[in-house]
Amino acid sequence: MSYDTLVVGAGIAGLTAALRLTEQGQRVLIAARGVGATHLAPATIDVLGYLGDARVESPAGSMKALLAASPDHPYRHIPADQLAASLTWFTARAGTLGYVGSLEENMLLPTALGVPRPSALAPQTMSAGDLRAGGRFVFVGVKGFKDFHPALIAENLVRAELSQPVTARAVELEAPPGGLGDLSGRVIAGRFDDDDLSHWLAGELVNRTEPDERIGVPAVLGVRSATETWGELERTLERKVFEVSTLPPSIPGIRLYEAMARALRAGGARIVHGVRVVGAHANDGRIASVDVVNATGTVSHPIGSVVLASGGFASGGLELDSFGVTRETVFDLPLIGVPTTERVRFAPGYFDAQPLARAGVATDDLLRPVDAAGRPVYTNLHAAGAIVGGAVPWKEMSGTGISIATGYAAAEAILAPATLAVSEAVR
Amino acid sequence: MSSLEADVLVIGGGSTGAGVARDAALRGFSTILVERRDLADGTTGRFHGLLHSGGRYAVKDPSAARECIAENRILRVTAADCIEDTGGMFVSTPWDDPEYGDLFLEGCEATGVPAEEIPAAEALRREPRVNPEIRRAFLVPDASLDPWKLVWGCARSAEEHGARILPYHRVLELEVDGDRVVGAHVRSEHSGEDLRIHATVVINAAGAWAGQIAELAHCKVNVRAGMGLMIAMNHRLVHMCVNRCKRPADGDILLPLRTACVIGTTDVFVPDPDETEIRQEDIDLLLDEGEKLVPGFRQARALHAWAGVRPLFEETAEVAETRDVTRSHALLDHSAREGVAGFLTITGGKTTTFRLMAEAAVDAACLQLGGPRACRTAEVPLAGSESHVLYQIGSRLAAREPVPRAEEIICECELITRHRLEDAIKQRDTTSLDDIRRLLRLAMGPCQGGFCIYRAAGILHAGGSIDQAAANRTLLDFLEERWKGLHPILHGDQLRQARLDDWIFQGILDVEHLPA
Repeated sequence: MSYDTLVVGAGIAGLTAALRLTEQGQRVLIAARGVGATHLAPATIDVLGYLGDARVESPAGSMKALLAASPDHPYRHIPADQLAASLTWFTARAGTLGYVGSLEENMLLPTALGVPRPSALAPQTMSAGDLRAGGRFVFVGVKGFKDFHPALIAENLVRAELSQPVTARAVELEAPPGGLGDLSGRVIAGRFDDDDLSHWLAGELVNRTEPDERIGVPAVLGVRSATETWGELERTLERKVFEVSTLPPSIPGIRLYEAMARALRAGGARIVHGVRVVGAHANDGRIASVDVVNATGTVSHPIGSVVLASGGFASGGLELDSFGVTRETVFDLPLIGVPTTERVRFAPGYFDAQPLARAGVATDDLLRPVDAAGRPVYTNLHAAGAIVGGAVPWKEMSGTGISIATGYAAAEAILAPATLAVSEAVR
Repeated sequence: MSSLEADVLVIGGGSTGAGVARDAALRGFSTILVERRDLADGTTGRFHGLLHSGGRYAVKDPSAARECIAENRILRVTAADCIEDTGGMFVSTPWDDPEYGDLFLEGCEATGVPAEEIPAAEALRREPRVNPEIRRAFLVPDASLDPWKLVWGCARSAEEHGARILPYHRVLELEVDGDRVVGAHVRSEHSGEDLRIHATVVINAAGAWAGQIAELAHCKVNVRAGMGLMIAMNHRLVHMCVNRCKRPADGDILLPLRTACVIGTTDVFVPDPDETEIRQEDIDLLLDEGEKLVPGFRQARALHAWAGVRPLFEETAEVAETRDVTRSHALLDHSAREGVAGFLTITGGKTTTFRLMAEAAVDAACLQLGGPRACRTAEVPLAGSESHVLYQIGSRLAAREPVPRAEEIICECELITRHRLEDAIKQRDTTSLDDIRRLLRLAMGPCQGGFCIYRAAGILHAGGSIDQAAANRTLLDFLEERWKGLHPILHGDQLRQARLDDWIFQGILDVEHLPA
């Protein structure tokens, strides 16, 4: 079996590129060491949440200021209309998860510490948590579930900087029947999927909340049927209900992964986990084949294009060794954002700007990793997601936005080489 | 200002001070201990955790070796719950002169430290990750010691015998009446309230800070701070305390400490014991020395680095090399030295000999408190060690396994349950996650608090012991404090972990934008 494109990594960036390519008729192989950051992160689509210390109201409106402050930022390769197109495309593909929001205005969704966190898009199960219009909120914890502390959320939330007044209070429910002990989010989600807990939760909440209160619950309403469970809760209670993201594993992120993986498989793409891409064979500056190590040995795949979506340090796309050398782990690509040996790699304060934070590959406008002279390392290798340097996504709240935008752009570059080659020549 | 009275006031809440307080209380003296920060927050909580057999000092410092083996035997009985009987091994690597082994055996023989040479192949069978090129190996009764358990065990024993233990109480002045020290003026770092403590004898057990305390009574104690760096590694790369068989030097000890192991150490004079900067070259030195003991050490996962300061006492300040200072302790009676009565300083020494130091100090105090009373600390077990059962790795897991889903595990790395955490909060009456860390080892495993710190802050807050502002503050303080020990060693998988933690705290929880 031969493939048109190999995608390295199964996070949102890799899934986005792969799905876009599959839809356009390509045969795609996704080779991944494991699942990506979907299973860790909240599954909101964060395009740009903070510029320095300032909260961003409009990601689209702040893009110019971001690029002025961070000239190497991955978004500099994404034209505004393509960013918008990528999010529209994503929203349609996420299907029943029902993403709402826009690039023009961030929603503010409470975190599990009660901080209003800016996101461009969010699944509909979270959208009623939007704090911009103010209102009355109640946060619901469950005894035995250690990853959600409603009293702290509520007390922080009422002190948050918001344009409209909010009130917030906490309710702590006794553990669900048969659910004593150490409840993990994954276990609770499974019980919601089995329709074991929806009636219990509705019954507990009906007399403990008021009709004009919005009810925040931990984001554990199920993996398979969360949207239905959420809709049923809202209908039964006749109240707005929303999920609040908390510690990993991220149940909403697992839903997103499953939705995209389903679409990929339906389209004929192949997803292989537990393998490692270890290098490429190139001719004339083009990758001709890649070596993939699986449990039985190394397989060489002839390939037309490659999308490197292996993630940053958190996912193993980058590594720093004990001698202070930073490497891109798949193709040993040149990196930017890596302090020289004389400079410190980490600042002494935890919240300081960290010198190594923006490490990653630099790319051209076709998202192809480039060398120090700005030339593509391979003409058919593209990068997407956290492996692209120049951003501090966990501070900017830009991680999923960058992944979708660059994953989409990498796919577009592969799909339309002729047109883009012309526009490149013009430039 | 309120005031308290006691026979003995102890200044310093490390192993020495806690040991002195316990010893004095066991002899029936009314006793108060003050510590400017938390107990075991200074040198004791920052040492490598080796209960010395004495082997390390057998050649160079025989009197220290004799003290170590005697105390080692006593503590295995009286502080059993703080000690894991790992055993110790001295090995000659290709970088070490194998003939030093003969000197080593002679020194051990002369000082009474049991030492037995075993074939290198047998040593490698016991320690498969140790450098296969070792030429000689010697077994000694080294062990692994939990400093927090030790100090808290002493403190609770002291309290059971009527002592008052006051952490977070800083000494502002010593009160001098004529030619006597008669007490101290202290301030609570939590409430800001001042307190006068009148005491017949004041015992300065401030370790590397003893010079600063002595100056308050215009006495001179020439104690210098010898900074030592340690790195905790994520696995037990060795089962025993493995030492290089050579003259003591940097980076020549690797010992298991619960589920981790610790490599130490360096030794550099620092002018101020509160200024301990971790330098990259010292990290590299330890990693390189680790590589000699355990090939592949640099690829293993480093968890955390920290520096402690040894109190090094010298009558004169003329010693250039810290390792040339004796590791025996010094007891200074300031009435004999400067004509200041009611004031003793006990410093120098090491954690292994803390009990002996306490005995010496309280023996001297007795002379000013109406005559000798017998020391009982060599026989009476510490609080928590009454059963005389040595700590065993895996005991927390063993306690949980029969009922795996009985309750929430708040810190999966260290297997800390919700009850245990809630009990600790109550017992300590604390508002600080860092205090809880020292008590329970919360957040000391591979994820360094990535998962448990949010939970613990939520539980502290929900239990009513702190308000929202204090919960936020202790969470942020913890992250800053943790970073100090993390960033010097970040590479490989621990950087990966740290980045995941960045995502959790900054990306998911958005702690940077918490309200005040």
